[in-house]
Amino acid sequence: MGDPFLKIDNLSKVYGETHALSDIFLFLHAGELLVVLGPTGAGKTTLLRIIAGLEVPDAGRVVVEGMDMTHCLPAERDVALVFQNFSLYPNKTVRQNLEFPLRAPGRNLSKTEIANRISDTANLLRIAPLLDRPATHLSGGEMQRVAIGRAIVRQPRLFLFDEPLTNLDAKLREVLRVELIRLQRDLGTPMIYVTHDRVEALSMGDRIAVLSEGKILQIGSPEDIYQRPNSPVVARQLGYPPINLIEVHKRADQWFTASNHGIVAADRNAPQRATLGIRPENIFPHGGEIPATIEAVENLGASTILLGTWADRPIHILITGETQWHPGDVIYPSVDPNRVVVWERRNEE
Amino acid sequence: MHVKDGVLKYGFVGPALIFLIAFNIFPLLYNIYLSFTDAELSGGLARFVGGRNYGVIFDDTRYGVALCTTGLFVVLAVAVELVLGFGLALALRGPFWGKSVVTTILLVPMMLSPAVMGLYWNFILNGHYGVVNQALAVLGLFQPQWLTDPDLKLLSILMIDIWMWTPFMMLIALAGLNAIPPHLYEAAALDRASNWTVFRRVTLPLCSPLLFLAVLLRTTDALKQFDLVMAVTGPNDRTTQTLSALLYQVMFRGYKIGLGSAYSLVILLLVIVLANVFIRYIASIQAKQGRDVA
Repeated sequence: MGDPFLKIDNLSKVYGETHALSDIFLFLHAGELLVVLGPTGAGKTTLLRIIAGLEVPDAGRVVVEGMDMTHCLPAERDVALVFQNFSLYPNKTVRQNLEFPLRAPGRNLSKTEIANRISDTANLLRIAPLLDRPATHLSGGEMQRVAIGRAIVRQPRLFLFDEPLTNLDAKLREVLRVELIRLQRDLGTPMIYVTHDRVEALSMGDRIAVLSEGKILQIGSPEDIYQRPNSPVVARQLGYPPINLIEVHKRADQWFTASNHGIVAADRNAPQRATLGIRPENIFPHGGEIPATIEAVENLGASTILLGTWADRPIHILITGETQWHPGDVIYPSVDPNRVVVWERRNEE
Repeated sequence: MHVKDGVLKYGFVGPALIFLIAFNIFPLLYNIYLSFTDAELSGGLARFVGGRNYGVIFDDTRYGVALCTTGLFVVLAVAVELVLGFGLALALRGPFWGKSVVTTILLVPMMLSPAVMGLYWNFILNGHYGVVNQALAVLGLFQPQWLTDPDLKLLSILMIDIWMWTPFMMLIALAGLNAIPPHLYEAAALDRASNWTVFRRVTLPLCSPLLFLAVLLRTTDALKQFDLVMAVTGPNDRTTQTLSALLYQVMFRGYKIGLGSAYSLVILLLVIVLANVFIRYIASIQAKQGRDVA
C-alpha cells in the first residue's frame, strides 16, 4: 500500500534540560486512527504540536504524503487540532466560530458553500440549535462539540485531537467517544488522538502508540498492547484493575516468588529471572495451592475485584458476576500459564 | 471578650462611613446648597439666590469656551494616548532583549507628579532658554513660542499630557494583551487566519474591555485637567482655560464661592454622565463575550 500518509522520522525535542521527545519514529496510514497513550508529561502534546507546526523539533522530520513539512507554517499544513481546553473564540457565536476557518484567505468559498458546510457540520455534531449562541454560553460538552466542529468543517487532511474529552464528565465522555469513532470512520480522515485514558485508547484506536518520558515504548493494535505488552511499563498503561507484576525466579519449571512460593508453571525455555505480568482476569480464585487472604471486595456490578495478599504480595483478581467471598476469606488462586506475560530480568535490575 | 456580630459590624464599617460622610457626602450636599447662594470667600452672610448662579454660568461666554477647550483637550489627549499606548503595548508584547528595562523607562512619566512635570516642561519649552528651542536654534530651525503663542499653548499642554499618560494606556493595554490565552492564537494560526484577521477578530475584541476601561479612567481624569494648565499658562488664559481652571479662577481668584459651587456641580454632572455611558458600553461588551473571557 505504498507510502504511509504521515511519517514521523527520528523526531527529538528538548526544552532546557528536559528531553520532551527522543527519537520518535511513527507512521500513520490513510484513514487510520492512531491513539497516542501516555501519562501526563510523556510528551504527547509536544508531539501533536510539532505535527501541527506550533513547535519546531530539534531534530527529525515530519513527512505528510511524501512532502517534508517539518518547517512549514501551521497554515500550510492543512491539519486541524482540537485542544483540550476547547479554544473557542470567546467573543463570537458558534456559527462565527465555525465560519472562522472557512473565511481564511485563499480558501475562496462561496457564501452558499460556507452555509452548507456549517449546517452539515452542525447536524453531524447535533449543535444546530446552538449556532447563534455566544461561544461562552455553552456547557463543556457543547463547547467541545463546537471545537470538533471547527476542526471538521474545514475538511482538513489530518485530525489531531489533544485529550479532547478530558475536561468533560464521565457520562459525556462515553457519548462523545462513540461519536468520535463514528465520525472518523465516516469522514475517513486520518486522526492522531492523544489521551492518558486507557479506555479511550483501547476502544478508539486502530493502533496504539505507548509514549512514556518522551520515548515510544510500543506500537501495535489494542489487542497486541493489551495481551502482549513488551515491558512492565506498557503493561501498566492499560487495563483496570492494573496488571499484577510479580518478580520471580525459575526452579524446576516453576516460577517462584521472592517468598519462595511456586505460583505458576514456567516454560522450559524461559529465562532464569523474570517479571511476570498477570492480568487480573487471568487469575482464578480457586484451583491453586498457595492460600491468599481477601482484604477487600469491590463490586462493579457485572464483575467484582478481589484485593488480597498472595505469596506475601498484594494481588488483584477480577471475576465476573457477583461473588460469594468476603474480606477475611482465604482462597487458593490459580493462574493460566498460557496467559502470563514474561519479561526477562537482567542482573542490574 | 465577646462582641456581638451586630456591634462588630458597625465597628468595622463605622470609621470609614464617618470619614465618607464628613469628607464626601457632606461637602457634596453643602456644595449643592452653596450653589444656590451668593456666598463669597471674603465673608458676609450668604443669601439664597435661587438658580441665579446657573443662569450666570450659561450666560458667561467663558463657560462655553472652557467647555470647548476641555472637550477638545479630552478628545485629542485620550485618542492619541490610546493609539500610542496600544501601539507601544503591541510592540512590547513579544519577548526581546532588554524588555523589562524599556518597559520601566516608558513608565517613568506616569510616576511623576503632574504639577512638578508641568513646571519642568515650562523650562523645557521656554521660548528663550528652553532646551527644545535651543536645540532647534542649533539646527537652524524655526523656534516656536510654545508657551506664549496662543495657537500653540493648548497644543503644548496636550503634548505634555500625552507624554505623561501614554504609558498608562500602554500598561493597561499590555495587561489586556497578556490576558489573551495563547492557544487562541494557535487555533487561529491553524485556521489559516491572516495577521490582520487575527488582530481584528482576536486581539482587538478580547482587549477592548480593558481598553475602554483605560479610556474611561483617562477621560474622567482629563475632564478635570488642571495641574498642567496651572503650571504652564496659569488658570486665566483664554486659550487654555479648562473647566477646572475656570472653576479655580472663579472660586479662588474671584472669591465667588456660590458661583464656583455651581460651576463644580456642572462639571460633576458632566463627568457622571460620561462615565455612565462608558460603563454601560463596557458592560455590554463583556456581556456579549460572556463572563469568562479566557
